[in-house]
Amino acid sequence: MIQPQTHLNVADNSGARELMCIRIIGASNRRYAHIGDVIVAVIKEAVPNTPLERSEVIRAVIVRTCKELKRDNGIIIRYDDNAAVVIDQEGNPKGTRVFGAIARELRQLNFTKIVSLAPEVL
Amino acid sequence: MLAALRNRSLSLAKSSQQTWNQQLGFRWLNQSSSSPLSTWTSGSDDEGLLNLQEVEKVLSDVKADNVTVIPVGEQCDWTDFMVIATGRSTWHVKNIARALAYKAKQKQKDIGAQRLMLPSVQGQETGKWVVIDSGKVIVHALDEKARDYYNLENLWSSGMSHPEPVQDLEKAFVKVRRKNNSKKRVITRV
Repeated sequence: MIQPQTHLNVADNSGARELMCIRIIGASNRRYAHIGDVIVAVIKEAVPNTPLERSEVIRAVIVRTCKELKRDNGIIIRYDDNAAVVIDQEGNPKGTRVFGAIARELRQLNFTKIVSLAPEVL
Repeated sequence: MLAALRNRSLSLAKSSQQTWNQQLGFRWLNQSSSSPLSTWTSGSDDEGLLNLQEVEKVLSDVKADNVTVIPVGEQCDWTDFMVIATGRSTWHVKNIARALAYKAKQKQKDIGAQRLMLPSVQGQETGKWVVIDSGKVIVHALDEKARDYYNLENLWSSGMSHPEPVQDLEKAFVKVRRKNNSKKRVITRV
């Protein structure tokens, strides 16, 4: 359950370290974003000497949420952190590697690029 | 254009399998002609989706450069083969994707499927990195810059032991504590 003002970790090597959600893309009055949703976010903290800087507005895909993700077969997946991967306007990831475990729902939501960079797919 | 490609592909189909493996230099294929590949060549379990040989054929027909096939069946469970190809321009990259989608459509029609099941194509608009996800085979068509940047071969062919990303991961989640500038003495409880 990501909403505006939620802080998220960054799960890639793009150079950002912490994001804050400012808008959820998809509908005009949407309240919460879940795994696989695209958000607009501000970089709150960045690694020095990287192309991304603090207070830059970017798009990101949510890849992990503390709120549990339910599957049809009864599996429930819940992560310890809220994390997102920085993408550009075309949907290409800004970083070259994704860290941590990723849910396979992202592949069905047409983020195969992110899934193919990830080390582990749940 | 596509009609011409199709004619070429039909003529190529008659030539033997061995020649193309040599042409394209699939080292992995020749080495690992063990169980996973042999199940693939039988190709009975795919329901009209593209299998590896058809993908290779289409890629050679559209003259994709530097085609690499990586069997990733033992590293990850969500797919079996990664095929990475380079296009010379964005137009060429887009055309690789279009040719693969067309081939899938033709195959479905030949089978006489009730409804068409096409591979999902991502990134078709920009043509820097197009992913054609046809179930067990995932084709990445990239332009040269993107291929260098993302370095997918290195990621998948080196196995799952990534020493660098683990270090990055540790760095990524470490929060830097603010410096304590106050003059007050810090009281530590014993």
